[in-house]
Amino acid sequence: MTPGPLLLGAAAGLAAGVVAGRWNARVWLALTLVSTAAALGAAGSLLLGGAIWEFVSTFPIAGQPLHLRLDAVSALFLALVAIVGGAGSVYAHEYWSNQDYPQSAPRGRMWWSALLLSMGGVLLSWNGLHFLIAWELFTVAAFFLITLERQRRDVRAAGWLYLSASHLGTMCLFAFFAALAARTGSWELGPMRERTELAPLFWLALVGFGLKAGMFPLHIWLPSAHANAPSHVSAIMSGVTIKLGIYGLLRTTGWLPLPVAAPWILIGLGAITALFGIAFAFAQSDLKRLLAYCSVENIGIILIGLGGALLAVADGHAVWGRLLLAGALFHVWNHGLFKSLLFFGAGSVLHATGTREMSRLGGLWRAMPWTAALFALGAAAISGLPPLNGFISEWLVYLGLFDAVTGRSPAAWAAMPAAIILGITGALALATFVKAGAMIFLGAPRTAAARHAHECGPWMRGPMLVLAILCVAIALAPVVFWPLVARASGAWQPMWTEMPVPASLFTLGSLQIALAGLALAAGLTLWWRARGAGAPRHLTWDCAYAAPSARMQYSSGSFAGIAGGWFAWLLQPQRQLRRPRGLFPAIATRVERVPETVLELIFTPVATVILQVSTAVRRLQHGRLQYYIAYVVVALAGLGSIVVLGGRS
Amino acid sequence: MNSNVNLLVGLAIGLNLLALGSSRLPSVIGAVAVQGMAIGLMPLLLESDFNWIVALVAVGTMAVKGFVIPVLLRRAMRTANIEREVDPSIGFVPSLLLGAGGTIAAVALARALPLLPEHAGSLLVPGSFASVLTGFVLLIGRSKAIAQVCGYLILENGIYLFGLLLIRTTPLLVEAGILLDLTVGVFVIGIIVDRIQRAFDSLDTSKLTVLRE
Repeated sequence: MTPGPLLLGAAAGLAAGVVAGRWNARVWLALTLVSTAAALGAAGSLLLGGAIWEFVSTFPIAGQPLHLRLDAVSALFLALVAIVGGAGSVYAHEYWSNQDYPQSAPRGRMWWSALLLSMGGVLLSWNGLHFLIAWELFTVAAFFLITLERQRRDVRAAGWLYLSASHLGTMCLFAFFAALAARTGSWELGPMRERTELAPLFWLALVGFGLKAGMFPLHIWLPSAHANAPSHVSAIMSGVTIKLGIYGLLRTTGWLPLPVAAPWILIGLGAITALFGIAFAFAQSDLKRLLAYCSVENIGIILIGLGGALLAVADGHAVWGRLLLAGALFHVWNHGLFKSLLFFGAGSVLHATGTREMSRLGGLWRAMPWTAALFALGAAAISGLPPLNGFISEWLVYLGLFDAVTGRSPAAWAAMPAAIILGITGALALATFVKAGAMIFLGAPRTAAARHAHECGPWMRGPMLVLAILCVAIALAPVVFWPLVARASGAWQPMWTEMPVPASLFTLGSLQIALAGLALAAGLTLWWRARGAGAPRHLTWDCAYAAPSARMQYSSGSFAGIAGGWFAWLLQPQRQLRRPRGLFPAIATRVERVPETVLELIFTPVATVILQVSTAVRRLQHGRLQYYIAYVVVALAGLGSIVVLGGRS
Repeated sequence: MNSNVNLLVGLAIGLNLLALGSSRLPSVIGAVAVQGMAIGLMPLLLESDFNWIVALVAVGTMAVKGFVIPVLLRRAMRTANIEREVDPSIGFVPSLLLGAGGTIAAVALARALPLLPEHAGSLLVPGSFASVLTGFVLLIGRSKAIAQVCGYLILENGIYLFGLLLIRTTPLLVEAGILLDLTVGVFVIGIIVDRIQRAFDSLDTSKLTVLRE
């Protein structure tokens, strides 16, 4: 079946979902699932070798002829939108149900459909104006999803920050597309590599798309928005919508000529984003904020891959360039899958305990074995551990970087530091997720909320299982998924069409299967032994203290203490310490908070100045008619003097 | 003929200054009325041969500007029960100085403009600029709505004066249209003045700052 009817069906289903979401949850769920399945079918048929689907209509929308096109790059992202969109709609059926949220649940369903529809529009639009319209719609839909729980002040604050930051980005994109249209004479998009005078426009696109992707230091909106949104929304925001920023960068770099510095800047920004993102993630004590910062890190990895691929294009090194691009594209998928899985897991924890604060949790694996196991799988995958899918994409990026270094081209100067930083990032990511997993699921429950936790229901467990299975599938059979990514690389860089499967990927695939088998066997043995004999329980050695309590376990702050110290210059942690005094000290406290450094130390002061200037200018708008007439007179006199003086000269 | 017109323009400029310097609303209204009649008379003086359309418009202008509008304004003034402009944002002496300076500037500006030779000796252009400026000063400097209406009328008189330059080419129907607009505008302002008075017990427009944007 060609993608056309499938895409039409998907769009119709989602549009019907916008209406149906208001009144019936089950009808909406069925519509959304059918639509996402259709979209996935369209994307899959194209990635599996179908011809490029194109639709041109002379019927103008907003004055421009409609031009839709699905090529392999769009299809790659569309598949991710469809998978996470479908999984999230099932998850929301229980997580954000009508019983729990009678007010916001219908609204949430409506905006969910609108979000998926507009993201599809972004991916299919081949006209700059329509792209912008879809882009703005999807930004607004995401805003309403973030602020579903808008009676809470921090949710509203996060929503406004997201909206204002997004509009800063949209402004850059408006400038970008408008300048492009002005110079080419048409809003139509497409390859225009020979127009070298368009190269400086790349910087506008970098800011606009980079802001949406959460590139450091433009990530300021991301942690609070992703942490305060409902978890299924966090999942699609972190897993999919920030990838649309990457999609935009991929398109821009694929179509336009680039400034010479662009690949170097991109790879440098990627390295900084990855390292700083994970440093911030490690220091967080709020589970969802930790996951959000971790998304920043993963965007950094993707940017390293993309920047490296651009270096390869500029220098004509197809071999490692392909590896880097494939790594980046694989990571788009992989991160979308496991980050959604992790946010679903976090939502399940939040649903069961009512808190995102890791230091209030603990020991949840007994009450929530499914969530614990699936979260652990996602955590291992995102840390880039074999035999899971995170390892595949990071390994491809490493391989490309190493090839670039051994190739002794000038690119080695960027590739070597990038590889080192990627290594540090990977280690910190592992530490971050050891911390998160251990704080939440291991040890003893620290509070009553954690003691009375319960496992999530089948509607929430099902989507998590699906995502976990996809993660494992990509991990165990990378060779199967390679051609799909290779087609996307071919669409991005036409010279790279026939891309054979790297021989090492076969070896890696078998190795992954062997490792997975070993891990499974070890796990089963442990389970069998524990079931047979029961795990022996002992008190830890506690210096003979007589009344140990669960609160004396490692906290997330103490776990991250040492590594937090390494990055203190960046994180600027704020500490309040009240030492125990006297022989029988009654009170001693220690509070440690990691601020949003970039936001609070850079953006807020700048915004304050802008606000002051605006307030001063706003005094001109006071409502006194007399002064308004005076403004008119002054303006007239000014214009008149310009005419008179201009006429003289 | 031209000297008669110049005399009338000089009268209009003098009335401008009277309107600027007076704090009593009846005298401002009176100044506007006399100015309107003087200006209404001009088309008759400018046209050498008698034209009944021009005559009709001149009579109409004089009737509306000299009688109808002043009567409406006086009635609004009585309804609102105010006689004086109490606290102008530009005082009366500064207003007068502005008006006088504006008149001099208008003469200078008229000299600088590339006018047709037949208009060069006429006071029409400086008088027009001076009236427009006076209208603006009244609009900006007065807080009572009725004084502002007077400013608006003087502003319109200035525009009308400028329009007289084109009397040979422009159909006077355009001027008639302006007149109609003006009458409707004054009606509307009369109604609004009444409403403001009833709602707020004051005609001070500087207090009407809440419904902005």
